[in-house]
Amino acid sequence: MKRPGPLLTLLAGLLLGLFMLTLNVTTGTRTASSSYQERSPSPSAPSRTAATATATASPSSPSPSLSLPPSPAPSKISDASYAGRTDDDSSSVAVSVRDGRAIAYFCDGHSKESWLKGRVNPDGSMRLTGGHGAVLNGTVEDDRRVRGAVDLDGGHYSFTARRAVKGTGLYRATATVRGAKVDGGWIVLADGRQVGIVDRDGTPSAAPRIDPETGAVTVDGQQLTASPVVP
Amino acid sequence: MSADPNAATQSWPSPEPHHGRPHPARCLVPVLVAAAVAVGLGVYGRLHQPTGTAFDLAGFSSTRAVKSWLASTAFFFALVQLVSALMVYGRLPGPRWAPALHRWSGRIAFLVAVPVAVHCLYALGYQTYETRVLWHSILGCFFFGAFSAKMLLLRSERLPGWLLPLVGGLVFAVLTLVWLTSAFWFFRTFGVTT
Repeated sequence: MKRPGPLLTLLAGLLLGLFMLTLNVTTGTRTASSSYQERSPSPSAPSRTAATATATASPSSPSPSLSLPPSPAPSKISDASYAGRTDDDSSSVAVSVRDGRAIAYFCDGHSKESWLKGRVNPDGSMRLTGGHGAVLNGTVEDDRRVRGAVDLDGGHYSFTARRAVKGTGLYRATATVRGAKVDGGWIVLADGRQVGIVDRDGTPSAAPRIDPETGAVTVDGQQLTASPVVP
Repeated sequence: MSADPNAATQSWPSPEPHHGRPHPARCLVPVLVAAAVAVGLGVYGRLHQPTGTAFDLAGFSSTRAVKSWLASTAFFFALVQLVSALMVYGRLPGPRWAPALHRWSGRIAFLVAVPVAVHCLYALGYQTYETRVLWHSILGCFFFGAFSAKMLLLRSERLPGWLLPLVGGLVFAVLTLVWLTSAFWFFRTFGVTT
């Protein structure tokens, strides 16, 4: 009367899930990644995946944020990037933390932007300062997000920035294009939205989109590569 | 919603739908298991610190593409599920092996979805920072609960005839929403890439 099939199906799924979880936990990234490709159903998927992997590995290999083990740094705040929006949804804020120092970028995508730098206290609080009196006061909460506020040009912008995964976060590209000093900053959010400003000799304007995988971007006809920002 | 009495009474799991009222407790175990699975996955996803880069070597973006393709494969087999279920219930003309097709396409869809879910829960976690992500988190957990309930209900005899199609349709609908809020979104946002 009882059919074993459905139970076996559930059991197989459970075992597969536990197996993959164990791979994740014990052997780290390499094995888990290859086991993904083995499970790829379409015969062409694994090879294409592998090709993409090798293609993206080189430009993005200095992964700035998450893959670093919690090194015995003086600060207990782990190295990570955070990205999010201001509470009024007018601007984006990204914070990159490494070795107890932080660099942050505030950007509204049109004209208002600021790079801010400073130290991160062991309790996660930070006070970063930028040009023209810009100040960011914030706190790293549970290594999951940074909450705080930016004071810039007389405005007060509360924000929440969540921990960024690879392909998101804070990017910067600087170059000289036809004699003009170009300084671009981008914040790539987890949903794929981008906010960026390109500064040409001090004149800000909206930035073209970057490819979050490679950082490639074309500014005034010149191919540039935006890199993940670390303090 | 009741099954066509002429359809597949030999081989289909709810062959005798109208033999009196089933005891409510018959559905209690699947419902409890479903709730435990869904809540358990959600709690794990919430409590476990997301690693973000579980598959760092392959590059996270391409891992997302792999996940999107796996999820799309699961969704494709879910469509096969819908069609083969209609065949099994006689709403569509189908071959004699429609029940086997239904069983095996369901198994494949489920097993293909499991690695995606593991990666989601391990690397990304249960997140609420945005409407799409919130719904994906909720429905993703709900899907595995509903699927468990469907599997366990298959083992019960003398269910009301409408129950399995209802639960099956629910599983299909939830998987569709999960796919729409993840892989479909990914392909729309980043293009159909690998």
